[in-house]
Amino acid sequence: MTATARPAGPTAVSHVIEARLALDRRRRLRSGGGLIIGVAVLAAVQIALSSLGGFPGSLVIPLSDWIDDARRWVIDNQTSHWSFSFFFNPASDFIDWFLRAVEWFLLWLPWFVVAGATAMVAAAVLGLRAGLLAGLGVVYFGAIGLWEECLQTVALMTVAVAIAVAIGVPVGIAAARYDRLQQSLRPMLDAMQTLPAFVYLIPVVLLFGVARVPAIIATVVYALPPVIRLTNLGIRTVPPVTVEAAEMFGATPRQTLRKVQFPQALPSVLTGINQTIMMALSIVVIAALIGAGGLGQVVLVSLRGLFVGKALEAGLAIVVLAVIMDRVTHGAAGIGARRRLRLMPDSLAQFGPVQWVESALAAIDRHLVRTGNLLALPLSRKLNVAAVGRHPRKVLGGVLLVVGALGGAAIGRSEFPGTISFSFAPAIDWLVDWVRDNLYEIGGTWFGTGWFSDSITIHAVTPLRELFSVDLAWPVVVLAVALAGWRLGGAPLAAFCTACVAGLGFLGMWTLSMDTLAQVIVAVAMAILCGVPLGVLAARSDRFERMLKPVLDFLQTIPSFVLLIPVIIMFNVGRIPGIIASVLYALPAATRLTNLGIRQVEGGATEAAKLFGATRGQTLRKVQLPLAAPSIIAGINQAVMLVLAMVVIAGLVGGGGLGLETVKGLRRTDSVGSGFVAGLAIVLLAMLLDRLLQAWTRRFTPVGGGP
Amino acid sequence: MKGHVRDHYIGAVVNTEQTPLKCREITKVFGENTAAARALLTEGSSRQEVLERTGCLVAVRDATFAVERGEIFVVMGLSGSGKSTLIRCLSRLIEPTSGTVEIDGIPIGDLDDQGLRELRRTRLSMVFQHFGLFPHRRVIDNVAFGLEIQGAAKPDRYERALEVLEVVGLQDWTDHFPQQLSGGMQQRVGLARALCVEPEILFFDEPFSALDPLIRRDMQDELLSLQANTRRTLVFITHDFHEALKLGDRIAIMKDGEFVQVGTPEQIIAAPADEYVREFTEDAPKTKVITVGSVMRPLTGEAPRGVPVRLASVLDEVLPRLLSSPEDLCVADEQGEIVGTVDRDRVAELLGANPRTGFAAGGGPVESS
Repeated sequence: MTATARPAGPTAVSHVIEARLALDRRRRLRSGGGLIIGVAVLAAVQIALSSLGGFPGSLVIPLSDWIDDARRWVIDNQTSHWSFSFFFNPASDFIDWFLRAVEWFLLWLPWFVVAGATAMVAAAVLGLRAGLLAGLGVVYFGAIGLWEECLQTVALMTVAVAIAVAIGVPVGIAAARYDRLQQSLRPMLDAMQTLPAFVYLIPVVLLFGVARVPAIIATVVYALPPVIRLTNLGIRTVPPVTVEAAEMFGATPRQTLRKVQFPQALPSVLTGINQTIMMALSIVVIAALIGAGGLGQVVLVSLRGLFVGKALEAGLAIVVLAVIMDRVTHGAAGIGARRRLRLMPDSLAQFGPVQWVESALAAIDRHLVRTGNLLALPLSRKLNVAAVGRHPRKVLGGVLLVVGALGGAAIGRSEFPGTISFSFAPAIDWLVDWVRDNLYEIGGTWFGTGWFSDSITIHAVTPLRELFSVDLAWPVVVLAVALAGWRLGGAPLAAFCTACVAGLGFLGMWTLSMDTLAQVIVAVAMAILCGVPLGVLAARSDRFERMLKPVLDFLQTIPSFVLLIPVIIMFNVGRIPGIIASVLYALPAATRLTNLGIRQVEGGATEAAKLFGATRGQTLRKVQLPLAAPSIIAGINQAVMLVLAMVVIAGLVGGGGLGLETVKGLRRTDSVGSGFVAGLAIVLLAMLLDRLLQAWTRRFTPVGGGP
Repeated sequence: MKGHVRDHYIGAVVNTEQTPLKCREITKVFGENTAAARALLTEGSSRQEVLERTGCLVAVRDATFAVERGEIFVVMGLSGSGKSTLIRCLSRLIEPTSGTVEIDGIPIGDLDDQGLRELRRTRLSMVFQHFGLFPHRRVIDNVAFGLEIQGAAKPDRYERALEVLEVVGLQDWTDHFPQQLSGGMQQRVGLARALCVEPEILFFDEPFSALDPLIRRDMQDELLSLQANTRRTLVFITHDFHEALKLGDRIAIMKDGEFVQVGTPEQIIAAPADEYVREFTEDAPKTKVITVGSVMRPLTGEAPRGVPVRLASVLDEVLPRLLSSPEDLCVADEQGEIVGTVDRDRVAELLGANPRTGFAAGGGPVESS
């Protein structure tokens, strides 16, 4: 490789390189140029229209008045109009009856039977340890004095999930059979999953008023998508050759479905039901706003009265309920590990006492099986069902529970005993006071959580809000969003974005929307700043990933509202706890997808970079991050949607913005109209952000991507 | 040597029963504009032209054949040749674009859904390439599936399923799930499932292609011995020429959706219809297929002495004698009458370099119109 080997002299070489560099500069200018021109245009418009400011009131459509009129019509016609007497009222009556029946049964059961049944089911599905913990969890419900509220919530969940499954599974099956139905369902389900749960409440209140039935209906609507989606997916992913084989044997379509397709799709369907249950649980608190009662009501009332301790107790009960339901249905779907008859973790198995405990357990189990067989074998002969004889433990457990239930009811020992009681609410309340007195300004200095919230408010949220709603002329905001849409997705997306932003103004929600948007932007920025680096770290260290996993799992299992409570303990009510809670809420999505994206980068590419002697930092910057970009952006997309959902909920605890306006509409009958409009504004904002971010994700997807 | 007698020609002439499976001009076109594609096909356009002008893919074109009772009819072709589509057209798992299929004289194109189901339940069965077993059912419930669909009571269908499982040697595996079994065992389950309903016609869609070579050979032998006992009508799809030679009473060689040649293994080996077929035959075990009859010279003068070889023997059986004997061997027909002679030059010519020999064997190219 000497200079003589080259075809031309040094001058020619530098000439070629010059041209190359010039091309590169031009290219960079062309891609950056659009941005510069866009900003220039926006600045010019801003200068020309600087007196305009927020959206003019004269352009607002009086939609809220119309809604109020509609509400009045509904109230007037509830007893007379056919749609009520033939459809809405009977449906509502049926749901009410169903709910009462379930609730009555659950409260009739003696408390120890409920705890025992939960423990047995969990033990059967997940193992002995999980069973014991689940039983303790149920005892916790009673111990904090919320036994009835808990069972009310369980009843509500049961009814809502039962209805969701009764609708979702057949719809999913139909969608799997008819492509056209699937195509028309998909955008609807997408939209349903994009929208914050809040949005469903208002239309339901409009039609059904405030009570437990509308709460169930809102829950069903919110929780429906996963079971439809996963039933459809499960049936569609059944190997076609098995369907062909069934057809070849002359099976009718119904036989094929019942004997071949559905059984194979069952794990997927169960996963869908699991997700539906979790979604239903996640809006327990929100549904309490429209009269769901139960635990959600306790959380809501306590928070409103600033009894943070009580709120946390009830909130923890919701988490316990969520964890039990999640683990048990997860296990039942066959996703979890096999059940085990061990109490202690394997890492302790070498110690004598542990082994002693385990062998004692095994001995007890042998006795149980022997006793169970005494019952199960005659029973299976009597019923002529061989399967009964194979499960002595289950038969024994079932018999014990029935005897317990009847016996307990007979001697009137159903209620949870007052003697088992404990409460950590006073401690939490003390902690809240202590935090306020000591952490707000640590040791009398300027530093503390007060400083933290104040700085975020003063330096980020308020200026942004003022910028969007007052300083910038409203056409500039519309134009800016339109330009972003145009750049990311061409004319159609630009038109869509313009319509959404302008819609916010026409609805009369300009200022409130800009307030919410400012909070979302600050929270998303914080979530990205924390989440992406955490994801990078997790991708580089298996140990860190293992440490992070339970934390992220926990954050994802907690219903959004419950997450607010500890944050309020630290930061008091206001805009900031909402923002911090949404950062925590959105963190798992950003972290997980960053981690996943980097880990999915092909080993070859990373190895090649190493072979060229790249440092770890260089490998990350030049190979892994660019290749992981689609996944990271998808994570950001999810984070934005989660933040929006949370920020809206935080409206309840001083976050203000669109969330608060919606809640007002739920609380006061005279502002249902403006509540509805605020809900609509949330929908517009959600769709706007979602579409923009999806277009952005697509630009980063390498195959067939690019503008 | 095969476990059963190749007497399909005699069978075809003697058999007065209805031919179980008759297909005429089956054509299958995939795509939107099948009408235009068919019009082009009748004009004689090539598959490539149809694809370019209509965007339609011609998967099968004018397949005409009949399969007699007890016969194994093999369709051999490489992937994409349309053989899987063809076998699915025979049971209307795929609806043919045109052409007729008659099963026991019934044109199945005219059947409604109910009639078609009835036909599939009672007379047809199929063994699939990747087994197509139901992963959520135990072996016995997989095998009993066909009877279950017909509404048979549990004791009856289990009794029959156990019988069939014994035939394929899986009587000890009834309560396992398919994925707990090896590939060969899984395909035995597939075979048992197909046999359980006692079908008259069995379709095999590359059933052994996913198996290891040794297990594949076992399965082939097993299929032949099963067939020797029950004499069903079999249509067997494969991409393996050796498998076709081993199993087929007659073989149809398929290329680009059309039959290139249909004939007995011997006919195809001895007189490949074109260059494409000849390439397959090149490394085929010719001596295991070609019979003495097709290389024999008719008796002209006096017969040579010695114990005669039989007309129907394949060359493999007579080669040791031929190579050690100084003279030509005489050939006797079934009645023991000496009808001709076979000499070393003739056999050497066949096994040697020159492929274009003038053997008296039939099975010319199939006419495409």
